Amino acid sequence: MTPLEILAAAASGAPAPRIPIFCNLLDQGAKELGMHAKEYFSKGECVAEAQLRMLKRYGQDNVWSLHYVGKEAELLGCKEILFADDGVPNVADFVIKNLDDVATFEIPADITQVPAWQSIAECMSILRGEVGATHPICAYLTASTTLPSILMGMDKWMELFLLGPFDVRDELLRKCSDFFQQHISALRAAGANVLIYSSPFGSPYFVGKNIIQKTVLPWMRRDLQPGGVDDVVYYCGMAPFNEVIELVFDELKIKTHHISPLADLAEAKRLINTRGLTCGVIDDIKMINWTEDETRAEVKRIIDIGKPGGHFLFCNGVMPMTVPEANIRGMVEAAFEYGRLE
Amino acid sequence: MFEAYIQSYNEAVFETDKQAALEVVNRALAEGYSPEDIVFKPVIPAVEAMMTLIENDPDANLAQHFMTAQIAADVTERMLEKFSKPPEMIGRVVIGAAYGDLHSLGKRIVSGCLKSLMVDVIDLGINVNAEKFVDAAVDEDAQVIAVSAMMVHTATGENGSLRVRALLKERGLEDQIKLAVGGAPYRFDPELYAKVGADAWAPDGVTAAKVIVQLIHEVKHDAA
Repeated sequence: MTPLEILAAAASGAPAPRIPIFCNLLDQGAKELGMHAKEYFSKGECVAEAQLRMLKRYGQDNVWSLHYVGKEAELLGCKEILFADDGVPNVADFVIKNLDDVATFEIPADITQVPAWQSIAECMSILRGEVGATHPICAYLTASTTLPSILMGMDKWMELFLLGPFDVRDELLRKCSDFFQQHISALRAAGANVLIYSSPFGSPYFVGKNIIQKTVLPWMRRDLQPGGVDDVVYYCGMAPFNEVIELVFDELKIKTHHISPLADLAEAKRLINTRGLTCGVIDDIKMINWTEDETRAEVKRIIDIGKPGGHFLFCNGVMPMTVPEANIRGMVEAAFEYGRLE
Repeated sequence: MFEAYIQSYNEAVFETDKQAALEVVNRALAEGYSPEDIVFKPVIPAVEAMMTLIENDPDANLAQHFMTAQIAADVTERMLEKFSKPPEMIGRVVIGAAYGDLHSLGKRIVSGCLKSLMVDVIDLGINVNAEKFVDAAVDEDAQVIAVSAMMVHTATGENGSLRVRALLKERGLEDQIKLAVGGAPYRFDPELYAKVGADAWAPDGVTAAKVIVQLIHEVKHDAA
C-alpha cells in the first residue's frame, strides 16, 4: 500500500499493514542543504528538495509544504521576518500596528498573485510531481481567530479579543476568515491533501470553553465552510483540547485530531474512538535530551495506547533543530516497528 | 462594608470581568476608602488567590491569566497615583523576551501581576541580549532577571538564559541576582529550566510572579 492508502485505511478502519507514521521536519531543511535559513526559505525548490531528501532518509509517510508560520503574515503584507539558523523564523514586522490599521488592512484579491506565494507554489509543484500520487502532502493554515496574533502580536490580539472594541475585533476576524478561505482553497488547488487547521484559540488552554462556543466556534465554522473538512486536521498549536473534541465533532465535523503531548492520549482515543483518526504526538522537546532508547520507549508507550482498535496515526510536533539525528531516526524506526498491524 | 467590596472585586477577577472590577474600585473610592486600602485589601489578596487557584487548577486558561494580570496591573496603577506616599516595594526585577524572541504576551502577564504585588518591574522589551539583561539588573539593583522564551531555540540557545547564567557567574553575581525563566518550551520539558542555568521556572505567567517574589525574598534573606 502507498502511504496515501495507509492513511486512508487508518481513517476508515480498513485493514493495513501498519499505522501511518508522520514526521514533521520543518526546520531541519536548511541544514540538510547546508544553507542559511533565509536563503533556504526564499526558494520553494530548496524546501521541496529538503523534504524529499529527508523522506528518502527516514521513509516516513508525509512531506510538508510549510515554509514557516510567518509566511501567512507575509502574504498579508509583513515586510520583515527574523530568521535564525538554529530555530524557527519569527514575524518581526506587524502589519497591524494599532487598532486604526484594522480598517485599512486589506486581504489580497488573489493571494496566489502575491510574491510571497511564489515559493509555496514552486514547492507544492515539485512535491506534487514527485510524490503527490503516493504520499500525503501536509500544509498548515492558521485559523481566523489565531491569525491576528501574527499580524499584531499575541498580547495585543488577546487584549482586543477579550476586551474589544468588539466591532473592530469582528472586522479583523472577518478579514482573517476571508483570507483563510482563500488560503485553504489555494493550497488544495496546489495539491495539499492534509490540511493542518491551527486553532490555538480553539483550545481550552487558551480561552474558556464558553468563549470557544460563543466566539471562536462561529468563526471556525465560517473558515471551514467552503470545501468541507475531510482533509482537515484539528490542531491547537500543541495545546491540549480533549475537552472540546466532542464539540469539534458535533459542530465542525472534523474527524482527525492532533493530540497535544500534554493531553491524556488514552482519553482522547476513547473520545474519538472509531469515529475518526487520533494522532498520537511525541513530545519532541524532550527528545532534545533523551537518549535513543528513551525516544524508542516513548514511541512504544504512545503506540501501545493508540494502536488497539486502529484509527490511529503516530507523529511528532515541531522537532526542534537541536534534537539529535539519532533520535529522529530512532523515533521513526520505532514507530515502524511498534506500528505494525499484521 | 469593605468586606462586600473585597468579595465583589474577587468575583469580578475570577470572572475575568475587568469593567466590573473597576466599578467595584470606583464605588469603594466614592465611599471614601483610601487607595492604599483598595490595593492592600482586595487587589493583592485577589492576585494571590488567583495564583493559588491557577496553581491548583491545571485547566485554568491563558485568558484568565491575562485578565488577572491586566485587571490587577490596571487597578494598581490607578491607585498608586493616588497614594498619599509611595508604597514600599518588595524588590525589583528586570524582565524581557530572550534574544531572538519577539513574543511579549508572557512577560506582560508576569509584569502585570508583579506590579500589583509591589515589585518594581524594569521591562527590557523583546529580543534582549544576555549582556543587556545583566547590565540592567546591575544598574537597577534588581534581585531577579526574568527571561521569557516562547521558542525552543530562544529558550535553549547559547545567547539566551545560558549566556545570562555565564555572565552572572563570570561577574560573581550569582548570589545577588537570581535567574527565572518561562515560556512554552518549559511546559513541555519541566527539567529544561535547570539545563539552561535558571534558578526557577513557572508553567504560566501568574505563577511566575509568585516564583519571582520568592526569589526576591531569597536574595534579600541571604543578603541580610
